[in-house]
Amino acid sequence: MSMNLPKQTNEIFEVLSRGQFICANSSQENIRRLYSVLDDRFDDFYEYFTAINFVLEHGDDYYYFSRSESKIDLERKIEAAYKWIDIIDFFKTFDSSFGPGYRFTPSDILVRINVDALLKSKLEGLKKYSSEDAYAESLKKIIRMLCNDNFFEMENELSDSYKALSSFRYLEELILSINIPEEVDDAIPQ
Amino acid sequence: MQYFHSAKELISALYRERDLLSELFEKRKIPFKEEYALELVEYSEERLDFLKERGVLRTNAPFVEIDDQYLQFLETILDVNEEINTSFINEHILQIKQSILYYLQENHESRKYAYVRSIKASLRKAGRITLRNIMDLNRNIEHAFKTEPTYAVKIAKLEHYDRKRQDITLLLDQIERLLGEDEQAFFKSALDEELRQIVLHIRYQIIECRHNLIEIQKQIIEYLNQIKYQSRVTEHLRRIKHLKDQFELKTKTNIHEILSRNNAVIFEPNPSYPLKLSLDYLQTDEAWQSILRVGSKVTNRSGAPGLPLAVNIADDYLRNETDQEAVIDLDAVRNSFFASGNHLFGFLLNYSYPREVSFEEKVTIFCRMVSLFEQELNVTDTYNRDGEIEYAVVYPG
Repeated sequence: MSMNLPKQTNEIFEVLSRGQFICANSSQENIRRLYSVLDDRFDDFYEYFTAINFVLEHGDDYYYFSRSESKIDLERKIEAAYKWIDIIDFFKTFDSSFGPGYRFTPSDILVRINVDALLKSKLEGLKKYSSEDAYAESLKKIIRMLCNDNFFEMENELSDSYKALSSFRYLEELILSINIPEEVDDAIPQ
Repeated sequence: MQYFHSAKELISALYRERDLLSELFEKRKIPFKEEYALELVEYSEERLDFLKERGVLRTNAPFVEIDDQYLQFLETILDVNEEINTSFINEHILQIKQSILYYLQENHESRKYAYVRSIKASLRKAGRITLRNIMDLNRNIEHAFKTEPTYAVKIAKLEHYDRKRQDITLLLDQIERLLGEDEQAFFKSALDEELRQIVLHIRYQIIECRHNLIEIQKQIIEYLNQIKYQSRVTEHLRRIKHLKDQFELKTKTNIHEILSRNNAVIFEPNPSYPLKLSLDYLQTDEAWQSILRVGSKVTNRSGAPGLPLAVNIADDYLRNETDQEAVIDLDAVRNSFFASGNHLFGFLLNYSYPREVSFEEKVTIFCRMVSLFEQELNVTDTYNRDGEIEYAVVYPG
């Protein structure tokens, strides 16, 4: 095994082992650099991290860690997946083209809340995750949650604008991977 | 319907109404009311009618618009047409073919020359129009992808543009064949310096067009894929969300299986790594500094570890202060009363107290005397009045 790894190895491990992503479209330069380092030496890193029981996974423009065997119970994962389904559904209702690279400000969404009853009711539904009553506060907290999980990134503090990172694709892929049997599918209203 | 008799007449008519026509051209995509048009021709209905009769304007009550012929002319000349029209190119190709045919049949030099001229003009135009069309196509595709809100229409538009792209590719093939194999005889015999330049130029244009078209094809495929992916995600998400809201997601889909296979670290809580210190490290100078820093923190807290300290008691609270109050000694009052021989209420009213005493207080003192010394007093059944107050006459017992 090659022990001659780049000096960024530690930084890469720090980010990935906390369950975060390294995305190609991050606006932080050091993250983009980590991405290109990973891209150049994927095989070395894969081997290296496998030895310490992490599987380096490569998605569409993002990297993340998984394990060869589960360390937490299924209930917890289901809870997280449910939360993401609700949250992504909210953002996709806001704009069906919402996806990696999408730029927005919370005020864009709040303006729409006032005129879009469906969007409003979906934000109400997210209160159980944000435990905030006021729409603006609730939305802010949800966005912060996604920033912490590394799916969004604040792009400009002055204009309060955010960007969906390429890791957002992970959530989309996760949802697409859930298979709905045909007979169930037929019963779902259009 | 009347007609313009000469180009001069047409141009001067257009020039005269240039304000109206340019305004109408700028607003060609929105309905323009005839009354506004009148304002631009100084309210002269005749001038407006003149244009209408000659088919420059067309009324569509209550709106007025420039006739399509003129509109197309302006759009083509000003390079602002949004429609991609491949028939123009086709037309020019046919014309070139015809002219070549005439040229080859014709024996008369001057007529031959006229045909060559028309061929040159058509070749120039064909090249320019093709390039122009490709640029329009590129812009329209971008526009459709970025601004069209309806998915179905967006896909239909992009597919339509893709067909246009194929048409243009075919036409390019035709032009290329025309210049190469098909009309070798003509290009060999009629090749003068100008025609050679034109052919060279159009070959460059064709190469440029082809590169652009390949790029456009890539773009369309990418856009279509993106749209299809997006709509697939959106549609799937809608169903998943529906099942989730119906509490059926766990039972009706394979989410259990998917998630039990998924061991991504993102699902795990934030890890912390509490590691023991290296003993070797603790021996170093660097560690010594850290130990000193931690040590000073520990001694600072050693006074009352963990207990919150109250603030000092202010000196004011500790200073001695005397507060004087004159107290009426009821025993002394009783002794004086026994010596006086007056009845109790009368005695209390006139008694000399150690401080100022109000009437109400004197009444209170009367009541307290009676209750304290009841055994030693003789409370008679006689009642006297003093103002509002009625009191029993009390003597020493």
